[in-house]
Amino acid sequence: MSAVAAHHRLRVDGLQLGGLQLQAALEFRAPWTVVFGPSGSGKSSLLRAMCGLLAGAQVEFARQPQGRWQRLDALAPERRGLAYAPQGALLFPHLTVWENVAFAARCRGLGRRQVAESVTEALALLGLEAMAERRPAGLSGGERQRVALARALAVPSPSLLLLDEPFTGLDRELRETLLERMRVAMVQRGVPVISVTHDVEEALRLQAEVVRLAEGRVLAQGTATEVLASERAAMLRVLG
Amino acid sequence: MHIPAVDSTALGLTLRLAGLTTLCLLLLATPLAAWLAVPDAARGLRWLRRAVQAAVALPLVLPPTVLGFYLLLGMGPLTALGRWLIARLGHSLAFTFWGLLVGSMIYSLPFAVQPLVVAFAGVDRGLVETARVLGATPLGAFRRVVLPLMRGSFVTAAVLTFAHTVGEFGVVLMVGGDIPGVTRTLSIAIFDQVQEMDYAAANRTALWLVGLSFVALLAVLGRARHER
Repeated sequence: MSAVAAHHRLRVDGLQLGGLQLQAALEFRAPWTVVFGPSGSGKSSLLRAMCGLLAGAQVEFARQPQGRWQRLDALAPERRGLAYAPQGALLFPHLTVWENVAFAARCRGLGRRQVAESVTEALALLGLEAMAERRPAGLSGGERQRVALARALAVPSPSLLLLDEPFTGLDRELRETLLERMRVAMVQRGVPVISVTHDVEEALRLQAEVVRLAEGRVLAQGTATEVLASERAAMLRVLG
Repeated sequence: MHIPAVDSTALGLTLRLAGLTTLCLLLLATPLAAWLAVPDAARGLRWLRRAVQAAVALPLVLPPTVLGFYLLLGMGPLTALGRWLIARLGHSLAFTFWGLLVGSMIYSLPFAVQPLVVAFAGVDRGLVETARVLGATPLGAFRRVVLPLMRGSFVTAAVLTFAHTVGEFGVVLMVGGDIPGVTRTLSIAIFDQVQEMDYAAANRTALWLVGLSFVALLAVLGRARHER
């Protein structure tokens, strides 16, 4: 895995978040990386550090688009080229599903046709076409989560997609379908993904690189089968 | 329906004063409320915010005559600010419509700022952060997310400011006096009519104020119900 060049790297130096001290030095190489750990281990904070949402933090975040590292940590969040689906969906309540998904494209001043194309594609990928005109208040938790994913997928030409607990509230069958669709779509677009989860099955199914986090520290980074070996063995025992 | 006759000059002046006060205050109160609503960890800034918040709320507890008295002094030749204003304008702001506007803005400031502070504080910071990461500039996030979510509170602030300005008396009398067509508002007109023992005219003017205030409160309550 080390032969593959890293596309992004992140260093967080002793950032104090309540009772948690976050310490991490990571290089991301895989097309899909899963940050895995129990609740309160600092997973979401790592994503927020990449987004530039941790004020006053000692964070070094960079990308390597064509063999040269480019620092992003001094840039404002909107200039980092990120697509982001935050924890809890956080849809804009005054906008319809269609307008939510169009948000990033409109912020970047894309033409009406381009906006419509990217929104239509994202809605189709997440199976949301029928609810385009509905508002978030009328959606279930799972539907909101899918809209948040569609909104992130409709960001024009991102360099990285960040997903914070993206499949919470979705039933197993739908989760598996969407996971596979998104994985394929991101590989086709050449956009790497970093997602946060505490779901072992999700991490194993993606065959992603896994970063295991506990109490704000990185315990391991490697393939899902290596890093989650004990969890995998436990699952196999249960299945007989 | 019979609409009682009223001093149309005073009515026009009152509506112009209330309208301009509302417009100017919303422009001033929006950034002020945004600043007051942002939580800040720095101790020094916290104290500054509390001090500004107390100063903004002061007109709620001060007798209007006290406020009017200091405004009158501030606009006159006894203070540096007053002398500077006189030198720039060629006359004092006191007993002019524009002096009245300044007085009304200070007097109604808390009615514009408080609903907006509550509204700003109520906007989920996560929504603004998400908007930023998705590509919105700070101004874009404000325009596309914060402002639409606060629309109802802007209506409340505007209606309360307008109604409060329509009904003000003490500050108007102290800063503007009682000059027909320049500073005589409806509330001053009532005072004059009562002084002249013309209770029928005072009643007509008072009914207009009751009507204006009632409609304003209906607008606020209607909005509150709509939001529920």
